[in-house]
Amino acid sequence: MPSRSLLSLFRLAAFTLAAAFTCSVFAAPAIGQPAPAFTAVTADGKTLSLDSLKGKTVILEWTNHDCPFVGKHYGSGNMQALQKDAAAKGYVWLQVISSAPGKQGHVDGPAAIKLNASRNAAPSNTLLDPEGKIGKLYGAQTTPHMYLIDANGVLIYKGGIDSLATTDKADIAKAEPYFANALATHAAGRKINPDNTKPYGCSVKYE
Amino acid sequence: MRFLATLTLLLFAALLQAAPDHAGTEQVTVRLIAERDAVRPGGEVLIGLEQRIIPGWHTYWQNPGDSGMATSIAWRLPDGASAGPLLWPPPGRHRQGDLTNYGYVDKVVLLTAIRVPESAKPESDFPVAAKVNWLVCNEEVCVPQDAELGLTLRIAANDSAQAATANPEIQAAKAMLPQPAPWPASVTYTQDGVKLRVVSPELSAGQNGTGAQRERAEVWFYPFQWGVIAHGAPQIVGRDDDNGGALTLDMRAGEAPAHAALDGLLVVTEKTGGGLVTHGFVVHAEPAAPAAVAQHDGEHVGLPAALLLALLGGLILNLMPCVFPVLSIKALALVKHGGRADRATRLSGWAYTAGVVMSFLLLAGLLLLLRAGGAQIGWGFQFQSPGFVLAIAWLMFAIGLSLSGVFTLGNSVAGLGGSLGTGFADKPGHAGSFFTGVLATIVATPCTAPYMGAAIAYALAQSAPQVIAVFAALGLGLALPYLLLSHWPLLQKLLPKPGVWMEKLKHLFALPMYATALWLLWVLAQQARSLLPVAIGGLALIAAAAWLFGRTRHSPRRRAATLSSAALVAAACAGGVVLFMRHAAPPAAQEKTQSAAESYSEAKLQALRDQGQPVFLNFTAAWCITCLVNERVALSQDSVQAAFKADGIRYLKGDWTNQDAAIARKLAEFGRDGVPLYVFYPAGKNAQALVLPQILTPDIVLDHIRPQP
Repeated sequence: MPSRSLLSLFRLAAFTLAAAFTCSVFAAPAIGQPAPAFTAVTADGKTLSLDSLKGKTVILEWTNHDCPFVGKHYGSGNMQALQKDAAAKGYVWLQVISSAPGKQGHVDGPAAIKLNASRNAAPSNTLLDPEGKIGKLYGAQTTPHMYLIDANGVLIYKGGIDSLATTDKADIAKAEPYFANALATHAAGRKINPDNTKPYGCSVKYE
Repeated sequence: MRFLATLTLLLFAALLQAAPDHAGTEQVTVRLIAERDAVRPGGEVLIGLEQRIIPGWHTYWQNPGDSGMATSIAWRLPDGASAGPLLWPPPGRHRQGDLTNYGYVDKVVLLTAIRVPESAKPESDFPVAAKVNWLVCNEEVCVPQDAELGLTLRIAANDSAQAATANPEIQAAKAMLPQPAPWPASVTYTQDGVKLRVVSPELSAGQNGTGAQRERAEVWFYPFQWGVIAHGAPQIVGRDDDNGGALTLDMRAGEAPAHAALDGLLVVTEKTGGGLVTHGFVVHAEPAAPAAVAQHDGEHVGLPAALLLALLGGLILNLMPCVFPVLSIKALALVKHGGRADRATRLSGWAYTAGVVMSFLLLAGLLLLLRAGGAQIGWGFQFQSPGFVLAIAWLMFAIGLSLSGVFTLGNSVAGLGGSLGTGFADKPGHAGSFFTGVLATIVATPCTAPYMGAAIAYALAQSAPQVIAVFAALGLGLALPYLLLSHWPLLQKLLPKPGVWMEKLKHLFALPMYATALWLLWVLAQQARSLLPVAIGGLALIAAAAWLFGRTRHSPRRRAATLSSAALVAAACAGGVVLFMRHAAPPAAQEKTQSAAESYSEAKLQALRDQGQPVFLNFTAAWCITCLVNERVALSQDSVQAAFKADGIRYLKGDWTNQDAAIARKLAEFGRDGVPLYVFYPAGKNAQALVLPQILTPDIVLDHIRPQP
């Protein structure tokens, strides 16, 4: 129908314009949609693309070791436990560091590896994103900010690690463990619920 | 050993009691402030947590926005006491690259109401302890911090001891708390957007001024819940004139859009004569009921369905009380002619249809034109013009009189029934039928306003060709029954045989006409009370003219009679036009409140002061949101107006809408260069004038005009 397509065209134009004006760089992907593709430099100096991980469940964890909210989950061992759990399930856990040079949490490859060794962390790999490209591609807002991508490359969870937005380690036990639940539910082959929660923490220190 | 343990315990207890009322970190100094030192059993006392934050850093509001953490307090209170929720003043926005946070810079006081149990013993101590947690951030880093604070209140024996020592810092913090919005609000969700609509003449008035005036005020909606809107995306302010004025905010959907009621804070920040004023309103917006037809949503209602619905709508219009009499009588005229289907009858059917459809197309064009001009309009927009309402009221009345048989136009024996259009257009034949169509459209509009509003609102949201098509279908629907009758004599045969009953029916049908005219007068009274005498006078003149015309119709002096009745009608119209023009002259600040305000002049103020009368001065302007809101939520409230009356306070209002020089001088006297300004002169010639704050509540006004001893 001509008028309807005219209408859709108009809507598309309006949407594009609105998107262009408001937050051109900030397009958070939607749950159930393909996760945006990226190729990144890893802490050990190699490159890694999301495409190469097709067939595997992938976790993205935005991190900043100096952020007290990150400190809450590494200091308590909560994050390390989740990483081990994911590894046992055969999932690929990728830390992402989007802090710009000179900003809090910015580290180079060797420093990132050393940091993980010092706190007994066991991610599959660490992605260095000093220009914030991957961060903005995924709309990462906080550290920590968690994403789960299924074996088909579809985004199936985004948001917080748990429900209590504090820096107090004692709150971890009291919180609803959103991300731990998401991992378990996905492993059991069920639909994750909730799959879109509030991330909390320090802002990602983009340039 | 036991001694040592006891000592430690005692020391610990003492420490607990004596937790300091303030503490500090590098970035934030926190302090507990009590509203009063003493509180009675069963009473309530406000405790403030003050945060003083060094430049460049901020703490967070209840919804911290894209990152961050809200400040929290865990209270430790004596048995039986309870603490209410944290009460937050309006936050500000802090942008860091693409992220936006809601929070506070410099200084903030968060209040908590503490309830003291009835069982509290008078003259005993009431210790209050607080474990405070907060996050403070700058562009670079975030630091979680906490502090243990405490203070000790006394349990008072009675109320007076309690009232005596209200802390001004707490009073100031209380004055900054958001008030419940006095306006109804609704929210509409689209795929990517959230539209908040607040029906408020006050807020939309602020969008009314010229560019410079409009920039004075900022309106921002802060949702209580994370993720329902994009926290940092622009919020586009608009207004529409429905319901006397509404403010709309177009926001972008957030990470977790809820398609339910929207709760949050509407914060108005306005540059006023006394500096920046921030006014927060707690808004609860229910999802707007979707329009009847639009329920299917524009995506799903294709053009054919919309056209079909419009056609049906047009058909239904034939049954509306204001249209039915006119059309059914027109139809009965066919009966009189005895079921013919000659060329002339068919042509007259088409002429009538053309009249209706053309009128509808004209309306569609007008609507599109207005829409292109940026006006937010709905169906029935014509009825926002008092002149139009008046004219239609008179027309309805005249048609009623004609149906009642007071006068007839044209030559047909059936009078109006025979050739209503002919009569009004005073032309026989097809031109008459065409104008009957135009008339049918005009008389249909009062009915369409309430019945067709939703459907047409849907149509108006579509593209121009679609709007035109829908309107044409509506017109066709309205014209269809008569068109069919004119073409099929068989249908005409189905109509009852003509007879005296037709005359009776006509008289009966006059009643809905009168009713419509009365309803329109009521509408007019809402819009422009001053036009009411003209409207009623006009009715009398029309009645007289109709009677004169009807009586002398067959007399030899018909021409004179026609002339004189025409003169009467003209007089009515002229009166209407004159008064309408006067009414339409640019209004000064509208008196929205029902309060007994007198207009301000320096001389009047001086005279009242010389008599030692108490005076409350209110300097306001039609474009000043803060002013209008203060009038709405405080000055026009019954409690305040009753106090003015009881205390014999003269309430003078100065309108600075057009920036009057005399008022500017008065403002300057108080060190202001703009409105609002509220001044209270207590009774007595030499009493010192009191300047009130720029944000008013009934309590603030009452506290100033009736200071506690």
